[in-house]
Amino acid sequence: MSKKITLALSIVLVFASSAYALEENVYRQFMGLDSRKLVWFLAQMHLYFGAFVLGVPLFAVIIEIVGWRSKDKRFDKLAYEFTSLLSVAYATTAAFGGLMAFALFTLYPTFMGYMAGLFKDVLFLYALLFFGETFCLYLYYYGWDWLSEEGAKGIGQRAESKNSMLHALCSNWQIVTKALGGIIFLIGVLFLLGIGTPHMRTDTRVFMAVLYILPLGAGLYIIKDRKSVHIFIGILLNIFGTGIMQMANSMAGFMMSPAGVNEKGDLTGTTWQVFENILATPIAIHRMLGNLAFGGLIAGAYAAVKFIGSKTEEDKAHYDWMGYIANFVAIAGLIPLPFAGYYLGREVYSTSAVMGNNMMGGDFSWTFIIQAMLVGSLFLISNYYLWSGMTRIPGSERYYKYIKFILFAIVISFAIWLTPHNLPLSGKEVSDMGGSQYHPTLKFFGLMPAKNAVVNLIILSTFFSFLLYRRGNKGERVPISKQGTLPKVIISIAGLIAIAIIGQYAWFLLTAEPKILDLPPDRAVYFRTIGWLLAAQCISVIATVILTLKDRGILAQGLYIATTAISVVGFLGVYGFIVMEKASPLLRNVAVSQFLQLISCIILVTAIDIFLFKGAKVIGELKWGKMTTRSQYALLLLSIIITMNMGLMGFIRSGLRSDWHIFGVMRDTSQWAYTPSNFTMTQMVGLAVFVFLIGVAFMFWLGGIAKGKDAEGKGHGA
Amino acid sequence: MGSAVGKAFILLIVLVTLFLWVGSAITKMTGGEKKGGGVVEITPEGGESIFWGKGRCYTCHSIGDRGSAVRCPNLSLWGDKFPLPIGQRAAERAKEREKATGLPYTANDYLIESLANPSAYLVEGFKNEMAVVYAPPISLTLNEIKAVIVYLQSQGGEVNVDAVNNPGEISKKFFDRIAAASAAGGGDPAHGEEIFVGGGCADCHTLDGTGSPFGPDLSKIGLKGAKHIQESILQPAASFTPGYETYTVIKKDGKEMFNESGKKYSGLKIKEDNENIEIAIGAGQILKAPKSDIKELVLEKNKSLMPDELVEVLTVKDFQDVVAFMLLQKKP
Repeated sequence: MSKKITLALSIVLVFASSAYALEENVYRQFMGLDSRKLVWFLAQMHLYFGAFVLGVPLFAVIIEIVGWRSKDKRFDKLAYEFTSLLSVAYATTAAFGGLMAFALFTLYPTFMGYMAGLFKDVLFLYALLFFGETFCLYLYYYGWDWLSEEGAKGIGQRAESKNSMLHALCSNWQIVTKALGGIIFLIGVLFLLGIGTPHMRTDTRVFMAVLYILPLGAGLYIIKDRKSVHIFIGILLNIFGTGIMQMANSMAGFMMSPAGVNEKGDLTGTTWQVFENILATPIAIHRMLGNLAFGGLIAGAYAAVKFIGSKTEEDKAHYDWMGYIANFVAIAGLIPLPFAGYYLGREVYSTSAVMGNNMMGGDFSWTFIIQAMLVGSLFLISNYYLWSGMTRIPGSERYYKYIKFILFAIVISFAIWLTPHNLPLSGKEVSDMGGSQYHPTLKFFGLMPAKNAVVNLIILSTFFSFLLYRRGNKGERVPISKQGTLPKVIISIAGLIAIAIIGQYAWFLLTAEPKILDLPPDRAVYFRTIGWLLAAQCISVIATVILTLKDRGILAQGLYIATTAISVVGFLGVYGFIVMEKASPLLRNVAVSQFLQLISCIILVTAIDIFLFKGAKVIGELKWGKMTTRSQYALLLLSIIITMNMGLMGFIRSGLRSDWHIFGVMRDTSQWAYTPSNFTMTQMVGLAVFVFLIGVAFMFWLGGIAKGKDAEGKGHGA
Repeated sequence: MGSAVGKAFILLIVLVTLFLWVGSAITKMTGGEKKGGGVVEITPEGGESIFWGKGRCYTCHSIGDRGSAVRCPNLSLWGDKFPLPIGQRAAERAKEREKATGLPYTANDYLIESLANPSAYLVEGFKNEMAVVYAPPISLTLNEIKAVIVYLQSQGGEVNVDAVNNPGEISKKFFDRIAAASAAGGGDPAHGEEIFVGGGCADCHTLDGTGSPFGPDLSKIGLKGAKHIQESILQPAASFTPGYETYTVIKKDGKEMFNESGKKYSGLKIKEDNENIEIAIGAGQILKAPKSDIKELVLEKNKSLMPDELVEVLTVKDFQDVVAFMLLQKKP
């Protein structure tokens, strides 16, 4: 019997394999247009709208939860207003998605036929997830009042009766959902730790645990009333959205790092291997954070335009607050984004050194200079917005003196970041520089150690700006020792997390065999040094926690930020050059050590900050609406710049495949099989940015009409 | 509200215009689209189109003040560091190479070696960062590589197409390497060797007398061609090297034999006499079972001792690299 089954399976496999084999590529055109540019434009539009639709619910739900827990109706109203931006955008995303799929299937039939055959199972699931997301989105948006605390009020007897039934149903099922939520959460924790899980990449496992299983468990666990049911629907909306994104990214990743097939395109592995290719999850992580920042900034632009056009102080105050929250969300996404980008880049290198070299030092090296201009601008303008926001905070004048130093650090870092490694020089210019191909000083700024150091400094500076903003109107503080047990526990846990983050890597570097790091034995000293540096940083964590618990929180924060800056920027920034010269494979570990220290700093200092100013006397209430119009243009600038940057990054990621549809498997034999110039990129991306933002403005206007009508009959509205 | 939208619109126009200007300025400074040509001839012109196009040599090399790359040596006159263009420099380097190896290197051999095995003799002050040009994504054909060599000859040296088409022993070895890589769908034999040694293949197989004799000796596997090698990796049970068939031992009670961990005893029959059977179940692991306990020895026609999960752990590129390395194993 088993032999028959094996035989049957073998026959299926043989036929399935032949179905995936590559055929000669066929290309078509539509009305004589450049097929690649047409698909490029449509894909970019789909991605822009998709990023917005996926990004906004991420923070809308969090804001709703904050409102639910704090019983502050303003947050609920804000979350609803963010969600209201989605309804038209969702339909447009789907329309562009359909258009892109039609274009791909008609213009690139061989390529799409192959991809559809290989991903057939995934595509069906993809379609099912769309149903799930559509249902959840509309239920989440249109069910806002129905599933609110006051949903039953004033709707009439019949509705009252229905809501009572719902309430009763919720009460009866509460025990079931709590138990189920708890079990799922536990499974999520086990999954996260890799206990009893099927074989899969660590990043994929963590991604799925953190974004699917744990939120699902938590969402079920919190169900206790109508509002929590609504929040659960919001969580489901995000899970479906993230699933859709992961599947799309899996296909993009497969095109760069195919797995589960041989060089002829035959399926030699399983669909899961095809799905879980090397770059699938790194791309998904990067896009997830990008969507968060993007969604925040587009929503921020909406708030800015509304602010500029506001006629009343009340409206100004509301949209100022909305813009602030949106920018806060964007910064939360922006801060870890460079690290996700670094991880993605590292995986690209490990997939193919040629792709990696082409990325940072080949066709796309100058594109990365443009990217540095854009990302640097994002951080600089975000900081400017925060500093402007301090003018509406009574008492923040005390901190103005620090701004010039932060500005100096960011501008210098920005300049170093966008310094190219090599400039196109003439023979005379080389001769003038003494025959060297590098500038005597600037050559150092163009190298990775310098760039890694300044990127970390920009992030640390932005974090510092945010700390100053937070404490702007805080006066006399309540000592942590008098706040009970909770701060002691939380700060100690944060300290332990910081030690765990840095300590495990210190342990690795102190005990690793040089061979593991591709180094000869005599180079061990280079990574042992970094290991000891991290160990010292662990001691700094302990000192920070002790000082905080002894009511020296400000000093403790200063100590840890200073040691992080010295270690990450000062020491490793310089040591990176030595490593590059003597033990270059270790450079990636230097970057990881910098990242881990920075993350630990953000976690520990934030935990301290929460309790340091908890219950502090307020010098004066924030004057929402007392914001310069200039600051609103800063928000608008941010939204335009991030849109450009997304397009640019997409160009790089896709362009790395050079003249391959599927790297190493299916060659692009069309007339468009070449890397476009940076000017072509700016033309295409500029066009997409222009059309997208005009489209968004139109959708916001449409949404405004609907909301105006809605506000006449219901409680919500701007 | 209308004026706010208008101002936002103007801001958008200004920024997009600035973005276009930056793209245009950078393109003027660094060059435009890099298009690969079609079929090329083995001429300096053909090589030039490959060098500045499909071959992506310009990513790391410049030629004089053409190009801006500095990662790898400039291939023409450039400052004090490179007083000779590559056409002449190759002859000088070949002399040094001859001195170091004792082999009769020509300028042509040096150029071919530099493309086929760039780490063999690095220019002082530079690391080996050169891509394997005959593997994806570049995947140059042998003729395209020959065209590039002719183009490099033309940089201050004597163009000799015949020498490229009819190479001596040294260069022929490199051409074999490139041909093997092409046959494997484009693969890097050097990386394939790393995978072979570090990835566990050498734990069971022998190459040129080194490795473990548990599995078949692969010193001549290249003679069997790419298809056979690919099939042997992907479907190891499709065909067996005689003497390497898999057997399962069945005891007289009808059960298959198990070891302490409950694992089945399946392996290679390495010895059989009147009293005992010896089955190798892994490298250095031999089971000696008395015939009196054994009911039968089952030949497993659909089962190989080679791990099935290789296809799960090998990426397409790794697979091609290993096949390319295997294709070079043609010991007479």
